[in-house]
Amino acid sequence: MPAERLLDDNVLLEELRKGTPDAVEMLFDRFHSKIYSLAMSILKNESDAEEAAQDVFLTVVRKADTFKGNSALYSWIYRICVNTCLMRLRGKRRGETVSIEDFMPVFTEEGMHASLIDDWSKEVERKALDKELGQVIRRFTENLSEKYRVVFVLSDVEGLSNEETAEILGLTVPAVKSRLHRARLYLREQLSRYLREGKAE
Amino acid sequence: MNCKELVYLLGDFFEGSMEEHLRQELAVHIERCEPCMNFLKTYDKTRILCRQIQPEEIPEEVRNRLKAFVLQKAREHHRDIEKYLERAARERREQVADILRAYVANRLSMTMNLLFRTHRDRCDRCGAFLKGLNGGKAIPEIPPDIEDHIAEFLEALPPGESPVIG
Repeated sequence: MPAERLLDDNVLLEELRKGTPDAVEMLFDRFHSKIYSLAMSILKNESDAEEAAQDVFLTVVRKADTFKGNSALYSWIYRICVNTCLMRLRGKRRGETVSIEDFMPVFTEEGMHASLIDDWSKEVERKALDKELGQVIRRFTENLSEKYRVVFVLSDVEGLSNEETAEILGLTVPAVKSRLHRARLYLREQLSRYLREGKAE
Repeated sequence: MNCKELVYLLGDFFEGSMEEHLRQELAVHIERCEPCMNFLKTYDKTRILCRQIQPEEIPEEVRNRLKAFVLQKAREHHRDIEKYLERAARERREQVADILRAYVANRLSMTMNLLFRTHRDRCDRCGAFLKGLNGGKAIPEIPPDIEDHIAEFLEALPPGESPVIG
């Protein structure tokens, strides 16, 4: 069979069900980077991410039969990945998450900004693709509790729509929006503090 | 609209799902409020920066190990399925052969005998084949379509009934 045909999700699924070795390989080649990076974002640890990725592929191969195809293949696979990772997290308790509340904007009783708000948006322009800044943001997101982190990773890093993220996580769209907004407020504040400190040094 | 409300609505603003009158209020507010202007710009910048985060790349070594593992397990899984399907097909074949042997040797239970013969007399798929068996004692090779057909008939029988005597 010509390999291009396997690029079609329905053909790929059909061949997976039959156990065509090419189909398993195509599945792997197409999804392993996404699965791994998503697992890394949630689990933050290479060996955990590798084991989770193993589980994800096995689940996909075994459940290819029961996948109904009423959602896109990739969103089904993302859902399996997120669930697998969250299940793994449940076993471990990690102490290093910060409280998101400490990074929410503060207002006066009249609803005005109670703290100084700098505009650093131009300043980072030059740094936009800076590796260091990327690392810093990654570290900040890692400190978020998974409730916010997973939503944030799917929407703002992976670029999925709120509807897709909601479907994958089994949340309502308003819940996704609200968590995403809070995660951005948190990151904005973290970045502000980071850049302010950088200037003070 | 005050600053607090404005900040609360920023998500909708950038998503483009904000109602028109709110959008206008926001524009008016931002015009005369520098902190909010700064907040809006940096909130937007935060979103943009996050889009640019490079995904964590999978190390070559991990990729190779993972791929070998997945391909191997998938092979095993499909071998298991094949084995299972073969076993199921074999069991079905034996079940059909048992019934036919019992039919030829007159060892069908009373209910089964009635159901089976009634079916035989009306069925244009297996009727001729079954009547042909009646004389001889040995069961010939059962054609696959007849086997499928009789297996379906057996599956449709009420459960709990032992179809063969002795």
